[in-house]
Amino acid sequence: MADEPALCELRGVQKWFDRGTGKPLRVLEDINLELRPSEVVCLIGPSGCGKSTILRICAGLIEASKGEVRYHGEKLSGLTPGVAIVFQGFALFPWMTVLGNVEAVLRARGVPDSEAATRARQAILMVGLEGFERAYPRELSGGMKQRVGMARALSVNPEMLFMDEPFSQVDALTAEGLRAEILQIWEHAERNPSSILMVSHDPKEVAYMADRIVVLSANPGRIRTVIENRLPRPRDLRSPELLALVDQIHDVITSAELPDVVVSTVASSVADDTIEPLPLAKGSDVVALLDYLTARAGSADLFQLASQTQTPFDRMVRMVKAAEMLDLVDTPRRLVVLTPLGQRFAAAPPADQQRLWREGLLQLRLFKVTRELMELRGGELTRKELLLEIANRLPTEDPETTFDTLVAWARFGSLFHYSEEQGRLTPGEALGAVA
Amino acid sequence: MWGQANAFLLSPRRPTAWADLLILAAGAAVLFGLVQVGKEWTGVHRPAIQLDLSPWALPAYTFYSLVRGLVAYVLSLLFTLLYAFWAAKDRRAETVLIPLLDILQSIPVLGFMPGVVLALVALFPRTNVGLELAAVVMIFTGQAWNMTFSLYHSLKSVPADLQEAARLYRFGWWRRFSWVELPFGTTALAWNSMMSMAGGWFFLMINESFVLGGHDFRLPGLGSYMSVAAERGDGRAMVAGVVAMVVMITALDQVLWRPVIVWALRFRIEDTTGGEVPRSWFLGLLRRSRLRRRIEAWRLRRGRREARRVKKAAPAALPSAAPATPALLRTGATVALVALGGTLVYGSLRLALLLLQLPLGSWGTLFGAAGLTLARVLLSTVLGTLWTVPVGLAIGLSPRLSRLLQPVVQVVASFPAPMLFPAVIALLHLIGVGLGWGSVLLMLLGTQWYILFNVVAGASSVPSDLRETARSFRLGRWQRLWALYIPATFPYLVTGWVTAAGGAWNATIVAEYVTHRGEIMKTFGLGAVISEAATQADFRTLAAAVLLMSTVVVTFNRLVWRPAYQLAQTRYSLTK
Repeated sequence: MADEPALCELRGVQKWFDRGTGKPLRVLEDINLELRPSEVVCLIGPSGCGKSTILRICAGLIEASKGEVRYHGEKLSGLTPGVAIVFQGFALFPWMTVLGNVEAVLRARGVPDSEAATRARQAILMVGLEGFERAYPRELSGGMKQRVGMARALSVNPEMLFMDEPFSQVDALTAEGLRAEILQIWEHAERNPSSILMVSHDPKEVAYMADRIVVLSANPGRIRTVIENRLPRPRDLRSPELLALVDQIHDVITSAELPDVVVSTVASSVADDTIEPLPLAKGSDVVALLDYLTARAGSADLFQLASQTQTPFDRMVRMVKAAEMLDLVDTPRRLVVLTPLGQRFAAAPPADQQRLWREGLLQLRLFKVTRELMELRGGELTRKELLLEIANRLPTEDPETTFDTLVAWARFGSLFHYSEEQGRLTPGEALGAVA
Repeated sequence: MWGQANAFLLSPRRPTAWADLLILAAGAAVLFGLVQVGKEWTGVHRPAIQLDLSPWALPAYTFYSLVRGLVAYVLSLLFTLLYAFWAAKDRRAETVLIPLLDILQSIPVLGFMPGVVLALVALFPRTNVGLELAAVVMIFTGQAWNMTFSLYHSLKSVPADLQEAARLYRFGWWRRFSWVELPFGTTALAWNSMMSMAGGWFFLMINESFVLGGHDFRLPGLGSYMSVAAERGDGRAMVAGVVAMVVMITALDQVLWRPVIVWALRFRIEDTTGGEVPRSWFLGLLRRSRLRRRIEAWRLRRGRREARRVKKAAPAALPSAAPATPALLRTGATVALVALGGTLVYGSLRLALLLLQLPLGSWGTLFGAAGLTLARVLLSTVLGTLWTVPVGLAIGLSPRLSRLLQPVVQVVASFPAPMLFPAVIALLHLIGVGLGWGSVLLMLLGTQWYILFNVVAGASSVPSDLRETARSFRLGRWQRLWALYIPATFPYLVTGWVTAAGGAWNATIVAEYVTHRGEIMKTFGLGAVISEAATQADFRTLAAAVLLMSTVVVTFNRLVWRPAYQLAQTRYSLTK
């Protein structure tokens, strides 16, 4: 298999977006990836790691800023041949019936009308939607809609099937069934699709589906590890081997997102002007996390935390990350442990919590810089100015998101005021007292 | 109203033969009518026609006007498809086309009239075609701009994943347009078409009976019937004309727009229609046609049979056509853009030369007139708001009232207010109010409906949990108004204001300058200046006044309405 060229290959791909003024936003860095014949590859990683962007670059929907896309060993620009995509939001045309949706993509390829109808019906049959040909997408449930998406993709007989978080808007039970069905269709070696590239955020799904698991880390997106999954098919979601693999994926993600060797958040040790990015988490979430930990003797396993509180894993990671930045928790390996400060915080009345929060914020460089800038500008800072500063100091972050998080955190500690209508940041009432 | 009254006809949902018969009969009637219109259009051009004020002449006149409106609508639709598509797809063109559309929208109909009429009459000197086309084009100027804006905005906001799917599955530009972009814009376009058609009737009286520098260009039609009736002060004929107009609007609403809107429901993106789902008895009737059902059933059966037959057959290789935008289209667009740019430059040069001939003193008068008219426009908007907000809230907040009154309001709003002007002026005359203040009332008559319409829509979209909150905390009537209803309906109110003020500007040309019982009544204002200049064929003043009006309107939109709209979108948005 090694001498056979990959179906689709990314070499040294980088991607950045120009955001008007300031430095461009870097999304992907040095991505090398190949999709070989007859395999299932899954991309997994936290939100913002650019996994969907990678998929779209492979498909030729987005152009790479640097690097190349190869199809059967040949360099390519524009749409990649032989690719069909199943979209996260289904992307069905609401004004076409189920049959119409499938027929449309066939007719767009120049298939004569009568043959298009026939092929479309075959595809509909294959995904088990017979009888629904005349239904409109809005009449169908999420799972049924995604079946139409699958029928549409399969109808063009694609060499490669791309799936972008295909089951995230489908209920859990239906998703399980659909995964098995997709694999059944794929397993026919003589039939297309030969290979599947899938984006996911669910370690279990990935362990069940993939031959190779590509774990990405965020800001900017880069490949962290590739895990080979040699478990025999058909796989059992409850088998100990599969659960062990899920655990391993968890570990990789955690060590990427919450490294044990923490770059100290104490300002004095950071001499240059690098700034730590803010994880997208709310202050109230962090307080809830601390309360939860207090009720469980101050420590818990990260994955159990996520599953017990029914919080999506990547959101839980962001919450823990935020708490860690403020020195409220520590994360030795997969454990999340309250620090002494965290314990004090959890026990304190709301007013003191606010004070502790504020003091924590003032240890972070981003807030320090913001405050200095504000003083320089005579006690107020416009949104525009701060966005520019963020774009310059944090080239891999989306300035607007960072700004929103900054405002939310600052408000939570009464550190700054922000008036949305005027787009102006001013010192909070308590700021003088702290200084 | 009609829909409910005829509900019993719908209860047996069987296909009926008489639906087919009715369709055939209607087809025959339309054919007969078109032949008549053809005769009239190609008839020999007469210097001045005599209008028959007897009610028996009305059906024919109404039909002529209807055909003009429909032809204008078809023209508007074609224009919309072309212009909106071009503006949405071509970056360079967009920077010219959209501001241009903004300006076109602000030009009152009389600004287009002289050029259009003189050019078309010169083009067809012997037959009525030129004059008929001129009337059609002028109705078109009352319809097209809004529709174009609507489609342009839809084309610009097609969801990203639908666009990606279309690209990935290699839809060519034509398929992308006809399968993705146009369907996405259809719902908005259908509603807008209905409103725009109503807007097209607004100047029917002028469009069918314009007088240009002593020349009488009159066409047989409902509008000219009304204007002759008003000139002669024939009360009976005026009432008959109003009735004919109401009948025409109601019929159009029931037979054309209701069905179109119900049909367009299939293009909506998600099933989010919170309120009443529109229904149409007429569409129901068409759908019950036996012929249609037979054809559909046959097609479905044949398709299934074939799918079974080749079920086991291996899928053959697919052709992978990847049609790109044809180079011809690109070059064509560039050429068209250059031509358009050239025309614009040439036109502005000619306009500038024309304006240079105007003495400076006249400009002073014009600016004074513009100020006064602006004040009237604003006053009419304020007055309109004062009464429509409480009434609109009452209607919108009560499901029963809105079910009863919504269709009525719709028809009333489609009625061209200038047809009522003669009666109102007579009334004003009686109580001794001059046209200076009276024109505000006339403008109000035409534009208040837009505000009412929007307030009703806004009120019915106030979330019920907010209403329940207000009730459970025992908020008083006044407090409820200011804390909940006004902020919640604000975005709708702004839309209403923009439309109403735009309409009021347009209405000034008929409100500030009126022919009543053979005598001309006018008051100082920009609208009166325009009307007078058009009647006297004083093209310098006309050009200057139209330019000034369009500048004021565009500036006002930028400085006042756009910020208000921003505020509505951010602070008072209920969906964010």
